[in-house]
Amino acid sequence: MENGKSYNIFDMAQQQFDRCADMLMLDPPTREFLRTPMREYQFSLPIFLDNGETRIFRAFMVQFNDARGPTKGGVRFHPQETVDTIRALGMWMTWKCAITNLPLGGSSSGVVCDPHSLSPLEMERICRGFVRRIAYHAGPEWDVLGPDIMTEPQHMLWMLDEYETIHGRKSPGFITGKPVHHAGSKGRKEAPGYGTIITAREALRDMGLEIENTRASFQGFGMVGQHAAKLYHQMGGTIVSVACWNHADRTAYTFRKKGGINFQQLVSITDPYGEINRAQAEALGYECLPGEAWLEQDVDILVPAALENQIRPDNVGRISPQVKIILEAANGPTHPDVDSILNERGVVVIPDILANAGGVICSYFEQVQGNMNYYWSKDEVLGKIDAILTAAYIDVKNFSQQNQISLRDASYMLAVDRVARACHERGWI
Amino acid sequence: MRMLDGSGRLRLITLRKSSERTQAVLAGRGELGGKAQGLLSVCPVLDEIRAAFPTIEVDIPAMTVLGTSVFDAFMERNHLAEVAFSNAPDNRIALAFQRADMPFEVLRELYELVDQWCMPLAVRSSGLLEDTTRQPFAGVYLTKMIPNNSHDPNHRFQKLVEAIKFVWASTYFKISKDYCKATGLNICDEKMAVIIQEMVGRPYDQRFYPHLSGVARSYNYYPLKPARPQDGVVSLALGLGKTIVDGGKTWTYSPAYPQMPPPFASPGELLDQTQTEFWAVNLGEPPEFNPIKETEYLRLENLAAAEQDGVLRRLVSTYDPQSERLFMGDGIRGPRALTFAPLLSLNDIPFNRLVTQLLAKLEAAAGGPVEIEFAMNFDPHRFGLLQVRPMVVPGGEEKISAEDLVSPQAIIASETVLGNGTLDNLRDIVYVIPERFNLQWTPQVAEELEQHNHRLLAQNRPYLLIVFGRLGTLDPWLGIPVTWGQICGASVIVEATQENVRVELSQGSHYFHNIINLGVKYFCMPFTSPYRIRWDWLEKQPVEAEGRYTRHVRLTQGLRVRVDGRSGRGVIALE
Repeated sequence: MENGKSYNIFDMAQQQFDRCADMLMLDPPTREFLRTPMREYQFSLPIFLDNGETRIFRAFMVQFNDARGPTKGGVRFHPQETVDTIRALGMWMTWKCAITNLPLGGSSSGVVCDPHSLSPLEMERICRGFVRRIAYHAGPEWDVLGPDIMTEPQHMLWMLDEYETIHGRKSPGFITGKPVHHAGSKGRKEAPGYGTIITAREALRDMGLEIENTRASFQGFGMVGQHAAKLYHQMGGTIVSVACWNHADRTAYTFRKKGGINFQQLVSITDPYGEINRAQAEALGYECLPGEAWLEQDVDILVPAALENQIRPDNVGRISPQVKIILEAANGPTHPDVDSILNERGVVVIPDILANAGGVICSYFEQVQGNMNYYWSKDEVLGKIDAILTAAYIDVKNFSQQNQISLRDASYMLAVDRVARACHERGWI
Repeated sequence: MRMLDGSGRLRLITLRKSSERTQAVLAGRGELGGKAQGLLSVCPVLDEIRAAFPTIEVDIPAMTVLGTSVFDAFMERNHLAEVAFSNAPDNRIALAFQRADMPFEVLRELYELVDQWCMPLAVRSSGLLEDTTRQPFAGVYLTKMIPNNSHDPNHRFQKLVEAIKFVWASTYFKISKDYCKATGLNICDEKMAVIIQEMVGRPYDQRFYPHLSGVARSYNYYPLKPARPQDGVVSLALGLGKTIVDGGKTWTYSPAYPQMPPPFASPGELLDQTQTEFWAVNLGEPPEFNPIKETEYLRLENLAAAEQDGVLRRLVSTYDPQSERLFMGDGIRGPRALTFAPLLSLNDIPFNRLVTQLLAKLEAAAGGPVEIEFAMNFDPHRFGLLQVRPMVVPGGEEKISAEDLVSPQAIIASETVLGNGTLDNLRDIVYVIPERFNLQWTPQVAEELEQHNHRLLAQNRPYLLIVFGRLGTLDPWLGIPVTWGQICGASVIVEATQENVRVELSQGSHYFHNIINLGVKYFCMPFTSPYRIRWDWLEKQPVEAEGRYTRHVRLTQGLRVRVDGRSGRGVIALE
């Protein structure tokens, strides 16, 4: 799923912001303030490796904006990590928290490393070393960390343990994404995927369509894609195809059954990383098509739930005229240049900051539960996520109708406006 | 959420596809369960009643039905079948259900519900088997009432979800399983819709209750002359209907003769035998957190509380000790008796006319006798219909003469018998040992009876049950507090009194449906009756099992049970 073109993700995030700032007619100081992070930390982590050598890892922490509350963001471990990626993610998180009306700002952190080439002990040293650097710049009342790409519940637990050791007190609200039995939140696995389908459900209602009369094609079958597909299937929708990465062949495939896939059957031949076993799928009668074929299916809903920049000017023409909704389960899957094309075609794009906000809402709940050290039932967590996301969708939909703009523009305008107001009300600008 | 009627007050939460959501398909698939379907079917009748009684607001309280498809998804997704069909104790089953997750698709609708409704709710069962088999499950499946008054909608949501899971779990409680076994039903076929219903009532301080609750039947099995069976019968109680359903003290009258003097020998007896306590929803802090207890949010109050709330004006008579007479209303000081005299004798509220007409119209619509449950408030007057059930009226092919009752072969005879027909070769008898019986031990007696019932059900042996006191009352000082499921294997029940147990018998009142619909024969044997149980003969029979208060004997020679449904005579004799 390569896009064949290099681009700077923070440039893209700023491009989106500029468009929105123009539409909001933001004054220059506010525009300048919201266009760049409030605070950034860049530092080096010297880590002892198991072989006795010491390696220096670069790390970044960007607290993009905290006008609406403590910042919240994920920690990523990735060999190609850049500060610009972290900035972009911090910015998007700011808008995402604002659009869902969470009392949080946005942040992001990352360490340039490849977890696949490091032992568990080395990973533990990185986690603890990272927290030692940021222990006085983060915390339940300042910046709440959480998992992101290649960081797992175990990493969160090591980080929490180091933080609590440094501060000499228990602070389960310092970090989210912890194991459920270690002050984690129930519903965390389901939240991001279910959240996307909640927004789709509302959009379909607006369009007068029943979900059970729709067909969908998914890109990505990891935690988000799989849970989104599960709920969509439970609600009666027909999944026609699912695309995922194949590590052995180092390429992506789309697995298709025109009559609709059997969700449980597909899950049974999928590994924990969301990779569908090609041989087993073909034996079960699935067509194995090229990776980008998910985009070309005659379906009502396309669900990009894998990587950014998957729908671009060079492939947007391959989208079937039947498609009515693009549900952005991944972060930034649609290139800004294709928004206008999709808009002209009448395709409703449910933007990422709204569609995949289920995860951050659940993280917020985990933090609240951690602060209280009192934990809720899964019904309560997921029920509240539904209520918050539905309310957010309705806000965005009403704003888009009132101003005759797309859902993406409406989402960004509402979110940026809320953050800008918070900055003004605090007297910062 | 789908509207089930034009008013928008009756709604359905379902996981069925849109193509399956027509009323006919939903009914065909049992999506609503028995109770909800019954209530929906009477909406046209209520329209007529409303037109005839403009001063009373007559309605079915707003309700949302959680369809059987939601129950199916809950069971399947949480893999609950294993624990549900196991022999695990009820509390373990209830706990497993509490820990399971509600189907995600309905969470938001439940949230919306508690967001809109901030008043006490009744969460009731509406089982599919109740509908398809017309079997009465009263006293088997449970109902939970919740105050739903927290300022925090999240808390209200949590409590609602707990209540729904509790009602679902009750489908698989031991009593339900035993009941299904006794009635030849397969518990695996059961699917439980749940009715979430606004409660009729008013808040007073820390309690919420209706001014009166009632059960009315269009056919009376025990009419007191001059009333006829077809005149029907009404039982009224202050507060929640739990008093009536549980077999507590109620005011029972014929709607054809609402002002007929009460059947009590003296005002003292009347004061003693009428309702003195009532159930209300607890609006304050519950005494304990226990989501698997049916009465977690209920409180039992005495009449003084209702007096303080100022709700007795239309419901009581007052005893004047100086004149030793009862005076209608609460105008003078003195002990109050819940006779409902102002309501039934003064015609300022056409309550009795309303009940009479409603029964007549519902009977005409159903094509046979019906039973209804209702609750009512005054000022403004509101009559809420809570449940409608068809009744089965016994035939009368069996003829029993006066001589038959005193024949030497007769072991038990009575002229107050429910049921009809003959039962041969009955060989098992479970009875409460008369000399060991005392009202203070009735809860323990209930436990022993349940064990006998369970054992005999497993052996597939119907039995004759002989008990003292008011069977099935939840007041242990009136009789044995069993639920129907604890004695559901009995095919003949004898309810007796003796010298030290002189209470008014239930006459099968709160088990009417079970007794009639399941073909159980019921004998009423008050101490004042001319007929006696032949205890001497019983004591000589071979003992199969014996508890502290009860005994199970197995006869070598079978018994023949004959009941004449028309005359109300019955006799149990050696074959």
